[in-house]
Amino acid sequence: MRFTQLLTESLGAMLANPLRTLLTMLGIIIGIASVVLMLAVGDGIKAFINKQLAVLGSNLVLVQADVRKSAGVRLRTGSVQTMTMDDAEAINRLPSVAGAAPMLTVFSQISVGNDNANTQVQGTTPASFRIRNLRLARGSPITDVDVASAARVAVLGKKIAEQLFYKVDPVGQSIRIDNQSFQVTGVLDNEGQSFDAGDIGEVVIVPISTARITLVRTATPRSVQYIVAQSRSAATLNDMVADIKELVRDRHRIRADDEDDFRVVNFGEFAKSGEAIATGLSVALGFIGAVSLVVGGIGIMNIMLVSVTERTREIGIRMAIGARPSDVLWQFLIEAVAICVVSGLIGIALSAGLAAAVSASGKFELVVGVKAILIATLFSGAVGVFFGFYPARRASKLQPVECLRYE
Amino acid sequence: MSAATLVELRGVRKSYFSNRVETPVLHGIDLVMKRGEFVAIMGQSGSGKSTLMNVLGCLDTPTAGSYRLADADVGTLSRAALAGLRNRTIGFVFQSFNLLKRMSILDNVALPLIYAGVSRSEARARAQRQLQRVGLGELAKRQPNQLSGGQQQRAAIARALVADPPLILADEPTGNLDTRTSAEIMAVFTELNRDRGQSIILVTHEPDIAAFAHRLVRLKDGLVLFDGAASEGLRELAREDSAVAAVVAQGAAR
Repeated sequence: MRFTQLLTESLGAMLANPLRTLLTMLGIIIGIASVVLMLAVGDGIKAFINKQLAVLGSNLVLVQADVRKSAGVRLRTGSVQTMTMDDAEAINRLPSVAGAAPMLTVFSQISVGNDNANTQVQGTTPASFRIRNLRLARGSPITDVDVASAARVAVLGKKIAEQLFYKVDPVGQSIRIDNQSFQVTGVLDNEGQSFDAGDIGEVVIVPISTARITLVRTATPRSVQYIVAQSRSAATLNDMVADIKELVRDRHRIRADDEDDFRVVNFGEFAKSGEAIATGLSVALGFIGAVSLVVGGIGIMNIMLVSVTERTREIGIRMAIGARPSDVLWQFLIEAVAICVVSGLIGIALSAGLAAAVSASGKFELVVGVKAILIATLFSGAVGVFFGFYPARRASKLQPVECLRYE
Repeated sequence: MSAATLVELRGVRKSYFSNRVETPVLHGIDLVMKRGEFVAIMGQSGSGKSTLMNVLGCLDTPTAGSYRLADADVGTLSRAALAGLRNRTIGFVFQSFNLLKRMSILDNVALPLIYAGVSRSEARARAQRQLQRVGLGELAKRQPNQLSGGQQQRAAIARALVADPPLILADEPTGNLDTRTSAEIMAVFTELNRDRGQSIILVTHEPDIAAFAHRLVRLKDGLVLFDGAASEGLRELAREDSAVAAVVAQGAAR
């Protein structure tokens, strides 16, 4: 008996009792929707993390002075300033380092005319624009000359620029930071969270030398709060961390058995923990999906057994007019698989709808990929074969004489 | 077994077993039927009539003895091979029509061809021709429950004939029909036998239906009680049972 004929007959059998078929399908629908969403959530979270990393700049580490005991009292991280401009330059010269920038940050009052805001000011060098992926919407970044001359220039984050200047082009305009005049040279294009200053759109960047003179009081004339360093590639990130540790220990003259007086914060680790959360969520959804598929599959097996009993006479008639046991087996197996695959398709549509709704909310991108659809379809088919085989085999083993006698 | 022989039963026994207790139903049946014969099998309930019918229809296999149908040794065949043999060799007509409910008449009639591996379009075309032959060409798209009993039985006959099997096996084909419709259905069988030389085995308990056949086989307690010309068999039956006498008299008048 041909496949198309079998398929037509199974669809007919499914439609003969639509409510029962639908209820039977629910378990598989929920199971497949969970599995598809699981894959979408996993991919979505990974994409989200990658997007965040792109905002941060990739392959970055942050080197800062660590909590040290001062006369037996542990102090807040960063409250001691053992890192210096010279450390930053030395790190920058390491072969495994693509670039390094020293940072001094402070919260300051920014004012333009009658408007003002309190936000983070970062004093740094031009290198930080490159390694942190900062792009300018307009104007130009701060330059080495600005750093050398401690020029009173500033680059504004996108949001803070809009807030203070509304529609006026801020480039060339004057702003006051802690009551001292600065000229705006550029506006950042970046959006999103930065690793060290909250929203990158609300940051004001000035030359580190200027920050030291006008805004931040430092322990020594060369102290910095932290240094941002970028490795040449993701693969060499760990090597770079080791190089930096060795270099800074050496420069700080730390004896072999003493603890570091600094620490290296690796953003790759954050990405890893994010991925671990994504994996955890995927596993949880996958578990729900698997349980639902097993329960749904048992439901299908049950209904198929009922169906075989109800259709005993039909089986007898078919056998009398020439259906071989294998024809009967295929008929019921295809029917179970068809129920599962149709359920799978409904489940995929359902999850695609949910994913679209989540994406439309704008917080999180959920995409149901081709891979997820293929996996879900194959999986639902496999559930049909697994749970449909026993009832189908039972139908094929029925004796025609007894079937024809069945009322 | 000559080419003209269609059915050959030799010493066929059939027993049913329940809880290891043997209940013999057929005690050794010998029956030879040539192609083109129209045979009625009669017997009271418990005579083994249904069991013999199941054996003849290859729906069940004998416990002992041999059964050859159209040169095939039925006793040695697998379930799949029996299905193929039924498909090619036997057209079934049942008392309760046994059409599949969810399908159109056309698809019901086409089904034996589908199982024979004929393509869907060709099967449907041949089914349509067969339905026309039994006068149901216009009703091909109807579901079985939209047809009268007589029409359903005609559709069942079309299904039995569609694959051109050498043997038609009709089990109480008029059991669910009124007298007039029964006569119409029997006319179809008579015509098939007379005009196309169709071999028919008719199982019935009604003497007036058996009267349409040429040869009568009467069963009693699992053995052949009578095997010969239908007219003679029915006369003998009439001697045993006065109710039959009237029917025989009527048949003689016809």
